[in-house]
Amino acid sequence: MATKLITRPINWNKIEDSVDLDVWNRLTQNFWMPEKVPISNDVQSWENLRPHEQKLTMHVFTGLTMLDTIQGTVGSMSLMPDARTPHEEAVITNIAFMESVHAKSYSSVFSTLCSTNDIDEAFRWSEDNPYLQKKAEIILGYYRGDDPLKRKVASTLLESFLFYSGFYLPMYWSSRAKLTNTADLIRLIIRDEAIHGYYIGYKFQLGYNESSTSRQEELKSYTYDLLLELYENEVKYTADLYDEIGLTHDVKQFLHYNGNKALMNLGFDPLFPKDDCQVSPAILSALSPASDENHDFFSGSGSSYVIGKHEATTDDDWNF
Amino acid sequence: MANQLVEVADDQGNLTGKQTIESAMSYQDLNAMINLWGPNQKLQLEKDKLAVRKYFLDHVNQNTVFFHSLEERLDYLVENEYYEKEVLDQYSFSFIEQLEKLAYSKKFRFEAFMGAYKFYTGYALKTFDGTRYLERFEDRVVMVALTLAAGDESMATNLVEEIISGRFQPATPTFLNCGKKQRGEFVSCFLLRIEDNMESIARGINSALQLSKRGGGVALSLSNVREYGAPIKKIEGQSSGIIPVMKLLEDSFSYANQLGARQGAGAVYLNAHHPDIMRFLDTKRENADEKIRIKTLSIGVVVPDITLELAKNGEDMYLFSPYDVEKVYGVPFGDISVTEKYSEMVDDPRIRKSKIKARELFERIAELQFESGYPYVMYEDTVNAANPIQGRINMSNLCSEILQVNTPTTYNADLSYDDIGKDISCNLGSMNIAMAMDGGDIALTVETSIRALTAVSDMSNIESVRSISDGNHKSHAIGLGQMNLHGYLAREKVHYGSEESIDFTNIYFYTVVYHAIKASNQIAIERKSYFHNFENSKYASGEFFDKYTDQVWAPTTEKAKELFAKASVAIPTQEDWKALKASVMKHGIYNQNLQAVPPTGSISYINNSTSSIHPIASRVEVRKEGKLGRVYYPAPFLSEETWEYYEDAYEVGPDKIIDVYAAATQHVDQGLSLTLFFKDTATTRDVNRAQIYAWKKGIKTIYYIRIRQAALEGTEVENCVSCML
Repeated sequence: MATKLITRPINWNKIEDSVDLDVWNRLTQNFWMPEKVPISNDVQSWENLRPHEQKLTMHVFTGLTMLDTIQGTVGSMSLMPDARTPHEEAVITNIAFMESVHAKSYSSVFSTLCSTNDIDEAFRWSEDNPYLQKKAEIILGYYRGDDPLKRKVASTLLESFLFYSGFYLPMYWSSRAKLTNTADLIRLIIRDEAIHGYYIGYKFQLGYNESSTSRQEELKSYTYDLLLELYENEVKYTADLYDEIGLTHDVKQFLHYNGNKALMNLGFDPLFPKDDCQVSPAILSALSPASDENHDFFSGSGSSYVIGKHEATTDDDWNF
Repeated sequence: MANQLVEVADDQGNLTGKQTIESAMSYQDLNAMINLWGPNQKLQLEKDKLAVRKYFLDHVNQNTVFFHSLEERLDYLVENEYYEKEVLDQYSFSFIEQLEKLAYSKKFRFEAFMGAYKFYTGYALKTFDGTRYLERFEDRVVMVALTLAAGDESMATNLVEEIISGRFQPATPTFLNCGKKQRGEFVSCFLLRIEDNMESIARGINSALQLSKRGGGVALSLSNVREYGAPIKKIEGQSSGIIPVMKLLEDSFSYANQLGARQGAGAVYLNAHHPDIMRFLDTKRENADEKIRIKTLSIGVVVPDITLELAKNGEDMYLFSPYDVEKVYGVPFGDISVTEKYSEMVDDPRIRKSKIKARELFERIAELQFESGYPYVMYEDTVNAANPIQGRINMSNLCSEILQVNTPTTYNADLSYDDIGKDISCNLGSMNIAMAMDGGDIALTVETSIRALTAVSDMSNIESVRSISDGNHKSHAIGLGQMNLHGYLAREKVHYGSEESIDFTNIYFYTVVYHAIKASNQIAIERKSYFHNFENSKYASGEFFDKYTDQVWAPTTEKAKELFAKASVAIPTQEDWKALKASVMKHGIYNQNLQAVPPTGSISYINNSTSSIHPIASRVEVRKEGKLGRVYYPAPFLSEETWEYYEDAYEVGPDKIIDVYAAATQHVDQGLSLTLFFKDTATTRDVNRAQIYAWKKGIKTIYYIRIRQAALEGTEVENCVSCML
């Protein structure tokens, strides 16, 4: 791996790319910890799920934990050497850290809702599930490759595409008034992932636009190939998970929608025709990363508060 | 995808034809479509009507128990212990039948999916296994009317008229529970004092459990409890302060849920000059240690005028040990005015004190409001200056609209009561401003509402908490609220926060307070009885009426004049007030407190209103609740025409909201839940400025602070209506 040592100190007063600052501000503003969400309020709702629904939920979450583990420990870090600016490095450290927070938050869902035996079973499942393993293998392979732009593609596809077969389920439950606090937590994760995918995709586009035409062609076909390779596996993974409760069709539509979204983040044209992206409106509406939801104090913490900007008052403000 | 034909109804619920929709579209999906732009970037409001229709077809109708006749239905419900026999026995069967007919003749239809969904999920009587419905909306209204009228046929009729037309809507616990055999209490809101001793703290926790079990939201004042490190039995450094008490309360509230329906909810208030104030605030920090982090308990700060004065001058503020203050003054910390005694306490060496920068306190408050929405703020001196009742107000409740006096309770060594003080309960109900104006007879609407709320107070008897039941029997306090202000203004093409809107709000509330006092006076005359300690109130002295008899209150803008004229709503004159004053001074009023404007969540959905007197949070509101999941609620009367009058609360901004609330506040004896809305470009300074402005304008309390964070450009969901700024 070619490493470029940057030895100058980071100067936040000299911003080379304003997107770095925007994204940094947004990410830090969005900082959260899983303890913020009262998952224990979902215990009753969890008990009301049927056993196969519980199992599905656990599998979905273990799958997500796996992705976040990869992204936190390998994925984000592999982007570091290619950072274009010191500020990008800072943003990437934040992304990596939040990925680890995400991975941990699934565990806090588990420990609140499930027994140790069930948790162990779910983790065993994740190690044995061929599609999940394949997914990890594909992505890890590209992260270890030596092409920085391709690593960004892999990362964007993971952030903007691969997560969503898993995100579907908690959004679906919450539209049915189940596990609504867990859904809050997932929505916080989605809020982060939406920015991560957008940012890495943006950095990819910068590199892409500087490349020669032939190199651009190469990257483009690489992207579509990788997406299709992942898609093929993802369809099987989806069927494996969702066939039993009959949601496979819906989840696939959702995959298409997010596949296109990932391509959009990379600056490419959509792959899946619009008719195959008919996401159920209840899921689509629940995805909005804007914090506009209204909740009452009986229902948990919501997913809409941010860390504020501090500014001292002046004497004029107190002029009464 | 297979298609299905469904009948389509217009706004009045008349069937207008058939429309094909995808059968795979669930009502949840149809409802969610109002949050997504349709073809041509048009709002798909009609999808919500389809969602209502589909909900009835697919769910409600199939799950409603059918009865051949009313007689069969009532017999069944009484025999199987669903309805309370005693309620029905107060009336003849033919009257009940007539009342049901009246209710059904009004052709009530749910305007929004949210309303229907909310009603059937949360209010309608269900079979004990929870699977089938035993009531429609009309049946619920009739049972509420029969219960509250307690055998009075004309009142029952009035109530059905007022409720089904949407002019008056009782609060959730009343509307939910009336007439049901297995039920919770009709009252939902309780305020308890905690004194500086273990007996009182333990009693507070016990009461919190009991009241939560019965469905109440409970607020407790911690201002009197000694601080961290205060002496116990003269041994220094012993007390662990208020945080552990908060922890105990938080756990108690999570434990006591009402038959699993929802978690108990609680709030605690603390005086800004309590030494634990910074620790108290830090419990809401995002990165607070788990041991001190408070997640589900709401917090509120009681701010006296002196704190603002000190901040103005950039001075330090002293915090006083409640333990010492009580020793020196002989009354609990919460019962003295910090503003009045401030310099005296600063100079008194017997009172141990610490200091912080006053401005830092306000900045810290604002920071936490960004992070968590909390704390609520109560401007103690404003509240007490406006209080017509003898005594001191030192706390508010879970929604920061209840403001009543209280007194301490003392205990014997065996934990029995020594002297039972007065704690606070309040039952609420709200008028829909648009419907009340349309109805034209505001006097009758207010009177019926006041009588209904009084009936709730009469029927309420919380035996497990004596300070509450005694307080209720003495005070008969009620809180008449208002909702749908923004809905009304938008429909009438008035911008929220404009001069016209402030003018209207002022005169509307002026009219309501007159009729509310008049109704309470009428009840006092009928019953030859008034609330405890009326003699020492500003009503009895007549002082309360000065501002109404000494000056003319009338609309000043053409638009407001026109609105009142169009609705033929008469505005009380000075002469009216003089007559009322004389009658009140002679006969008294029955209710110690009359008005309080709650935030109105659930009931405003059922009633198809905008919440309280707030501006809307969004034209299409995304609502998340434990029982409902995510549901989308379009503002009432929303159309292409009213679109521009539905600026949301973030656009309207804090200053205009404060102006509207200030106009209403001067006519409301208790408080009004006031939420302030900021865009995420705001800083803590903007929040502080709004707090200062609110205080200057005579606002009594501030409820939540809400921050809206827009999606970062490039990450939004395409076509999302609520994302649109």
